[in-house]
This record gives sequence, structure tokens and C-alpha cells, in this order.
Amino acid sequence: MTGALIDLFGWSYALASFLLWIGAQLLGLGNWISLQLGAPSPGPLEGMIGFVTGAPLTSLVAIILAINILLLWATAFHLLIVMWIERKMYSRLQDRRGIMLGLGSSEILRNTLGRIPLIGRPFRKASHLGTGFLQTVADGVKLFQKEVITPASADKWMFHAAPVMIAASTLFLFIAIPWSDGFWIMGSRLPNGDVVNPWGVLVILGAFSVAPLSILIAGWASNNKYTLLGGMRAAAQLMSYEIPMVLSIIALVVFAGTLDPFQLVRQQSAPLTFGLGPFGTVQIPWLPNWYIFNPILWIAFVVFFITVIAEAERIPFDIPEAEAELVEGWTTEYSGMRFGIVFGFKWLRAIAGAALIAILFLGGWSGPVFAQVWIPNIASPGNLWPIPILPQEFWFTLKIYAIFVVFVWIGWSVPRVRIDQILNIGWKRLLPLSLLAILLATLARGMGWF
Amino acid sequence: MESDLLARYFPVALFAIFTLLFPVGTFFATRILRKDSPGPLKDLTYECGEVPEGEAMIQFHFQYYVFAIIFVVFDVAAIFLLLWALSSSATWGSTVAFASIALFIAIMFIATNYALKKEEVLYI
Repeated sequence: MTGALIDLFGWSYALASFLLWIGAQLLGLGNWISLQLGAPSPGPLEGMIGFVTGAPLTSLVAIILAINILLLWATAFHLLIVMWIERKMYSRLQDRRGIMLGLGSSEILRNTLGRIPLIGRPFRKASHLGTGFLQTVADGVKLFQKEVITPASADKWMFHAAPVMIAASTLFLFIAIPWSDGFWIMGSRLPNGDVVNPWGVLVILGAFSVAPLSILIAGWASNNKYTLLGGMRAAAQLMSYEIPMVLSIIALVVFAGTLDPFQLVRQQSAPLTFGLGPFGTVQIPWLPNWYIFNPILWIAFVVFFITVIAEAERIPFDIPEAEAELVEGWTTEYSGMRFGIVFGFKWLRAIAGAALIAILFLGGWSGPVFAQVWIPNIASPGNLWPIPILPQEFWFTLKIYAIFVVFVWIGWSVPRVRIDQILNIGWKRLLPLSLLAILLATLARGMGWF
Repeated sequence: MESDLLARYFPVALFAIFTLLFPVGTFFATRILRKDSPGPLKDLTYECGEVPEGEAMIQFHFQYYVFAIIFVVFDVAAIFLLLWALSSSATWGSTVAFASIALFIAIMFIATNYALKKEEVLYI
């Protein structure tokens, strides 16, 4: 029993086999027609059919499908929901309702689909009673049609390369973020069924640190004073949060002994256990062994949480953008979809940061799987297939959204810090705290405590 | 072993290519849907509507030089600490291992504080 709903590689392998089977049938049809037309046996397409149904091509198509499913899952599903949560939530914090456009706001839809009885109900709602969920999609469609303006004095190549670098590095974050025991791309399954990916967290951290460099490039290449200031601020901000971030992870590694997201989650799904040195161990069976409950590692958690907010450039630390001071910061000169991508992918970084917090300190995708429904398996007839009622993906998504709500809550409640303030926060508060966490963790581990 | 590594990291390499193709493809796709009409006024650098004054690619006075130097030191030290934390599960009981790493951290911490105190006075 795993509790994972989605087996990404299994599913995409089945889908790839099915697609290639259709292709082979079409090729077989062509082969049959050419045989009827008098081609020599075994027909001109016979070798091609063997290649199409062979194992190498099936694996390749399966991997490509898996990659696309993961990218769509992150961008088309979570990105939209998270942007909607942010817009609704900060509106509530400002005592207003936020975006309210619904399907009924479109006169065409109201007059056509809305006239249909029963089905047309959501389209008949008055325009101010919707949930506004599709507002972000509408913004995206609008940005798609917008003109792209390249400033005459900009460094053209770097100006256009920087958004590609930012978008690519942001998407690359999701390679090493597993969504459950079955929904992952980077890793390998051991014979005993466990999944391992020994350097997963390190890959995520590496992908995170590419973006500030691209921001610096974008700020310089735009040849604009605001963007230059924004880029330089991004560099200064990177210097202030990166070290406490890595050091707080080191404090965690002292206890966990691994950087493998799968193993970290496996460790945290056990009941809460404290070692008390010479007094034996204490177990609290009704609490999970999350690292945030550790008497020492919560210091690392606080440091890591703050640095992730800085990493995602959310409001207390969004000084590279700082729309009240620098127009739109380093994105000032970008327009059209280039602006849309660099602006929208900030939320993707927030999702990845929240996922990293959940994996490292909050038990990742572990959670109670209350019941499973057994349905007949289509792929292997005669076998039953367990469908968990509350799958691991549900728990992980829930934790990510909960952390993101805290991000929004903090972000719209506190003022933006200045650049010298973030350097002081990083080097005079977070750095000593994380070093303290490392020392305490080492000491406790050496004495057998916690 | 090599084929095992290839099997494990081939999806990663493919994913990296896809992540690069995603923005490039999006930017090319917008070409179909949009209409560009550049003009000399439109292509000016944005300075809130004014005619831009001077160059922006200047020798920027980077005030946080001391922080940058300490950052480099800590960046390297962080890698060492990470390796130490990962590899030393066998040496938790050892006093020597703990004492040496505590000494290392203490030296770095004191030096950082000294540098930051100096930075307040000097402000390069």
C-alpha cells in the first residue's frame, strides 16, 4: 500500500504504448494496402512497425509524456489556482472581494449556454457573483496578443535571453520535486519498492539560484535605470538569504543524514520519537515525526521559511521589483508575453518554495490514507487496483496551499524592507540563528538527544 | 553502471531541454497572434514619459562589497559543511569531529562579525 494515486511513469508508459499501438495499426493498414497493390512481401512498412512498437521508442515517448504531464500539472493547474488564491486572499485582507467575474459576465455565454435548462445554471449568474477563477486565464490570453517592445538602447541578445533563462530555471525546479511516491521524474525505484533520489534537494537549491543571475542580466541588458537598480538589488538580496538557507538545511541534514526528498518524507511519516540521551526514548504515537516538531530544528524552520520568502521574491523581500519605488523593478522594459512569463513564474517559484518547506519540515506528502477503493485494473485484467480516498497528492497539495496562504498573509501584512535592512536581517539575524541551529543539532546528535 | 546512470538521468536531460523549449516556444507562438509596430518613440527607454537622460550601463557603485566577500567565503564553507553533515553520521559520538567543526564555525562567525562591524565604519 503506497497511498499514491498517480503512478506517473506507469501511466505514461501505458499511454505511450496505446498511442504507439494506434500508430502501428495505421502503419499496418498502409502495409496491407501496399501489399494489395502488389508490393513484395513482407511489405515496405514492416520494419517500421517493429521499430514503432519496440521498447526504446515506447520508453522515449513515455518519458516525454511524463515530462509534459508534470509541466502541465505545475503550470496549468497549480499556477492558476495559486494565483487565484493570492488575488482573492489579499483582497479579503483589504476588506474587499477581489476578482468576481464569472461565466455569466460574458453576454454571449449568458445568452446562448445560459438559456439551456439545468446545464446553463452557472452561466446565468449575475456578473458580480462569480468566483473570478478564469481572470488569470484572461490575463494570459491578453498578454499573448500584446506587442513586444525591445528598447532601442538595450543589449538585444541578453535582453531576450534573460526571460528564457528565468522561465527555464523556474520550470527546472519541478524536476526534483516529487508530488508523491509515484508522481516524480527524477529518481529511481529500488527493488523493495522505495524510491530514491540522493541529491534531490541539492538540485532544487541549484535551480533556485539561477534566477537572481538572470535578473541581474535582465536588469543590465535593459539599459534602464530602474531595471539596473532592480538587478543590483537582486544580487544583493541573493547574498543575504542564500547562506542562511543552505546553513539551515545543513542543520536539518545533521538530523536526517540525507538530501533525498523521498527518504526525508519516509523518515517524517513515522510516529514522533525523541531520543532523551541516557533516559531512553519517548514516542508520541498520535503525532507524525515532522522535523518542525524537533526542539532544535524549528529554529532552522523559521530561518528557512524566511529565506524561502526572500527566494520567491514575495513582498517583505520583493525589493528587486518594488513597484512603489522602481516602476516595475527589473521587469520595467519587458512587455507582452515576456513580461507575462517572468511575472507569472514568480508564483511557480513560490509553489516550489512551499513544496520544499513541506518536504523538508512538514512531512511532505505523508498523511493518513483513510480508506482505499479497489477497482478492477484495466492494464492487467484480473487484478484489483487500489484507489486511495485521500491520496498523497492531496496531502501534499494541501500543505503547499496552506504554506502559500501564510506567504500571502505575511506578504500583505508587513511593509517592504530596504536593501540594507535585508542585508542586516540576513547576516546579523538569520546567519547566527542558523549557525546556532547547526551547533545545537550537532551537540544533540552527538549526545543522543532528540 | 554507466547504462544505469544514463537510464536515471536521461529523463532529467530531456526535462532540461523541454524547460528551455517552453519559453522559447511561447515567445515564438506569440508572434502569430500579435502585431508589432515599432516606432522611434515607442522604442525609447522608459523613464516615466520623459526623454531618457544619459546611459544606464554605468560603473555602478556597488555598496555591499564587504557582504559580497563574506558571501564567497561562506558559499565555499557551506559546501564543506554540507559534505561534513552528510558523511559524518558515523562520527557523531566523536568529540574531535565536533570540536573541530565547532572551532571552524566559531572562527567564521567571529570573523564575520568583525567584518560587519568594520563595514559600518568603512562603508566602502
